[in-house]
Amino acid sequence: MLWQKSWVETRWRFLIGFAILLVLACGIVMQYPAMRRLMPLAASVGAGTADGRLARAIEHAIEVQRDYRGFVWYQWVSQNFAHTWVLFAALLGSGGLLARSTGAGALFTLSLPVRRRDLVEVRALTGLAELFALALVPSLLIVVLSPAIGERYSLADAAVHAACVFVGGAMFYCLALLLSTLFSDIWRPALITCGVAVLMAGAEAMAAGGSRFGIFGAITAESYFRTGALPWPGLLVSVAASAAMLSATLANVNNMEV
Amino acid sequence: MSDVLAIETVDLRKRYGDVEALRGINLGVPAGSIFGFLGRNGAGKTTTIKVLLGMARATSGAARVLGIPASPDAVDIRRRTAFVSEEKDLYDSMTVEEIVRFTASFYPRWRSELEQRYRRAFDLSPNAQVKTLSRGTRSRLALLLALCRGAELLILDEPTSGLDPAAAEDVLQALVAHAAADAVTVFFSSHQIAEVEQIADHIAIVDRGRTVVAGALDDLRAQYRRVQFVFDGDAPAVSFRAPGVARLQRQGRVLTLLCSGGVDALVAEAHALQPVAIDVTPVTLKDIFLDTVHAEEA
Repeated sequence: MLWQKSWVETRWRFLIGFAILLVLACGIVMQYPAMRRLMPLAASVGAGTADGRLARAIEHAIEVQRDYRGFVWYQWVSQNFAHTWVLFAALLGSGGLLARSTGAGALFTLSLPVRRRDLVEVRALTGLAELFALALVPSLLIVVLSPAIGERYSLADAAVHAACVFVGGAMFYCLALLLSTLFSDIWRPALITCGVAVLMAGAEAMAAGGSRFGIFGAITAESYFRTGALPWPGLLVSVAASAAMLSATLANVNNMEV
Repeated sequence: MSDVLAIETVDLRKRYGDVEALRGINLGVPAGSIFGFLGRNGAGKTTTIKVLLGMARATSGAARVLGIPASPDAVDIRRRTAFVSEEKDLYDSMTVEEIVRFTASFYPRWRSELEQRYRRAFDLSPNAQVKTLSRGTRSRLALLLALCRGAELLILDEPTSGLDPAAAEDVLQALVAHAAADAVTVFFSSHQIAEVEQIADHIAIVDRGRTVVAGALDDLRAQYRRVQFVFDGDAPAVSFRAPGVARLQRQGRVLTLLCSGGVDALVAEAHALQPVAIDVTPVTLKDIFLDTVHAEEA
């Protein structure tokens, strides 16, 4: 029944995120016919009106969106997920774990005949399951809706990108969970996690050639999109960092006195 | 009531940084008793309870609950114990029905028939959100969740805190009825002397992190006496050789002793001082509490 507690505590954050991502997934599919019509025009405008970094970004966007698979990857994975995913992961990971704020029930929880390890494990697994559902289900919706506009998006691409997004996001989820053992409210862990993500994204953008270990490189999985190779270094970094932060969370909760 | 102790602590100490919250708590709570743990705000009552339930670790000393050493890993203690915190800490995100089902799932001996009875008695609406409950209703819900666990030991931290007199009386009556019917041990902290006197058969008074008085309430009442000596002139500054002086106070012509025993010996010793009048009177729990607490301050 600890599952129920974790679910009740996070369900609204999960459901709101789920609804937003489903709407975004629908919007992307339905937007494609218009995008296809505008693509030749965008190519000529992009090439002629900008230079330097902006021009390269426009050219990159146009280049990858020449077909439907590229359009979905760019809009859905590279833009939507990369920009919103950290926020969803941070919100799901924040709060609830023996938080001492009013109404969180830390004393009530600790009076129950459960080990603290069980509390952490159930809370972590519930959040990770929700995160996985957020990554996978809207991606599957794209697969299901694509025939409605005469296109096809492969199930394998949807599953692989969802898995990469999930693994990359898990690190931010675990960071928020760890911070929730230090702060009693929901907002500080979420905000600090988002701040860390911004710094990491900036560092990855500036690191020439070093982004193969980057978390955002793992989330967008550009290597898989272009060559079919999974971004293993980034994924492994995320898994290792997530495991380390879960261990730290467990240690913090074991030592916690309320 | 048996000689077995449901709770036993020996020189229990707890330090938070520079603050010494517990400086020597010694308790022996007989199984089957209603034990009032009396002390002022900040005396160390809540900290003691947290150590007993493994929510905090003792810095030194020993604590056993139902024969099991208290520690955060002592799941068996919490399986056999029910706890109500002073804040009536519950999950605001759940409904009454959800939190009842949630709690019941951890206790194989959950008392469904009691649950139904208390739901009706406490007028708890199953679909009400916990966060919307009034303080009184929230207290009743917390009590229901504790009483229905089939626990051998109830630990309640200021169970009537913040309640109006009628709600407080409901809570106390429910506790007494439950303790009588199921022969459970009730250990409750309070700073309300009247409610401790109303339902407790054993008490401990704690002050500044130390146990200053402990025992059966009837024994304490029988044992403690106030003795007043009135003199012709100012009361002399004396110290008594006979044991049992819990507190000595001089005020003008009157010398007042609070004795925890040995009254006859003290009176005999005082005769040498030639008082003009000697008055020995029984004391209330309030007298014992105030005198021992003030003695600590002195």
